[in-house]
Amino acid sequence: MSEFVKEITQADFEVEVAKSTLPVVLDFFSTECPPCEALAPKFDAVAEQFAGRARFLKIFRQGNKDLASRLGVTGSPTLIFFKGGTELGERMSGDDIKRTVIKAQVESLVAA
Amino acid sequence: MAERFDVIIVGAGPAGLSAAIYASRARLRTLVLDESVPGGQMKTTHKVSNYPGFPEDVKGTDLALAFSTQAERFGAKIRRAIEITGRDLSGPVKSFELDEEDHIEAPAVIIATGAKPRELGVPGESKFRGRGISYCATCDGAYFDGKEIHVIGGGNSAVEESLFLTQFAKKVTIVHQFDHFQAEPVSAAEALESPKIEVIWNSEPRAFLGENQLEKLRIENVKTKEVRDLATDGVFIFVGYTPRTDLVKGLVKMNEWGYVETQDDMSTEVPGVYVAGDIRSKRFRQITTAVADGTIAALAVQKFVKDRKQGA
Repeated sequence: MSEFVKEITQADFEVEVAKSTLPVVLDFFSTECPPCEALAPKFDAVAEQFAGRARFLKIFRQGNKDLASRLGVTGSPTLIFFKGGTELGERMSGDDIKRTVIKAQVESLVAA
Repeated sequence: MAERFDVIIVGAGPAGLSAAIYASRARLRTLVLDESVPGGQMKTTHKVSNYPGFPEDVKGTDLALAFSTQAERFGAKIRRAIEITGRDLSGPVKSFELDEEDHIEAPAVIIATGAKPRELGVPGESKFRGRGISYCATCDGAYFDGKEIHVIGGGNSAVEESLFLTQFAKKVTIVHQFDHFQAEPVSAAEALESPKIEVIWNSEPRAFLGENQLEKLRIENVKTKEVRDLATDGVFIFVGYTPRTDLVKGLVKMNEWGYVETQDDMSTEVPGVYVAGDIRSKRFRQITTAVADGTIAALAVQKFVKDRKQGA
């Protein structure tokens, strides 16, 4: 995991996501999940590009089931986008998440 | 300056990695590109029982790792999690732009991008993707611990992944459009005997319903036309595959289902463009047939590249 990505737990959700002044991208990941492995380097790369402008957080689903079910997440990987503590934009899920698509969505979140 | 290779293989599934093993052993400078991690559809298959050389079941991820490790051992370079942001495959030099920054080129390419799980195209499907709908049992099975879920389909993937899902789910109901499974008899029998699996025959999904989360699956019995809504905690969809042809659309000939037509040596009508694996128009799509395609493509490319170097 790159220095531009931080792993959190559900106990940190309020502080790290809900109260964040910067836009947040939250990645729910699991073990034994090849699409999650595939997403990780793309997520790291986009995080680096937006350093200082948006926050990129990861959360391990198996260890944070309550938050996953509170947010209605049932698949890994799932990317959820937040600004001012509110979820904004389409979620991204599954094996086909492209770097350029994440970038475009974060760009619009930062600009909004 | 673009980095040069003898052959660029797109797709690191069994076809692409077999091609990489043969190409790299032939001392071709070989690069394999994949949008994901190596393995193709193998990597999300929980077990493989019909691949020769493995007398016991092998995990799809382990088989994928074995393929990629073997290819890298002979010098093939594999670039993972890349996105192809530009390409030109029509001329004598095939070039790609990767992640909007790197440029690579080669006289020959093998397109082995395979196929991806087909979507049903039923209302609500995209809305509830990741909110109750999944296409990958190994990835998402654990989310449904103790839950009651549905599986759509009746082929090998649907039946075998249903068996896998019984490790987590309290109950798995398979909804299948015909009155029998298309899956291999061994798995079909195992599913029919499983106390956790029920089957609804002759039925097709018509809609996915819910507020923010998937709550109900609407199905129609194709014989009686009866429509009913089933409460569900989650639905896994395994209804076949659709070829990934974005790279070659408009460039090579495709059949009416979008699969690429090739010669016996995996060549297309564009010199230097070869196609191998599930993306090809053919009767059977198995790991073994993908491996055969990849092998043939690499042997044909070897001759093509040699002839080109000699100016033939």
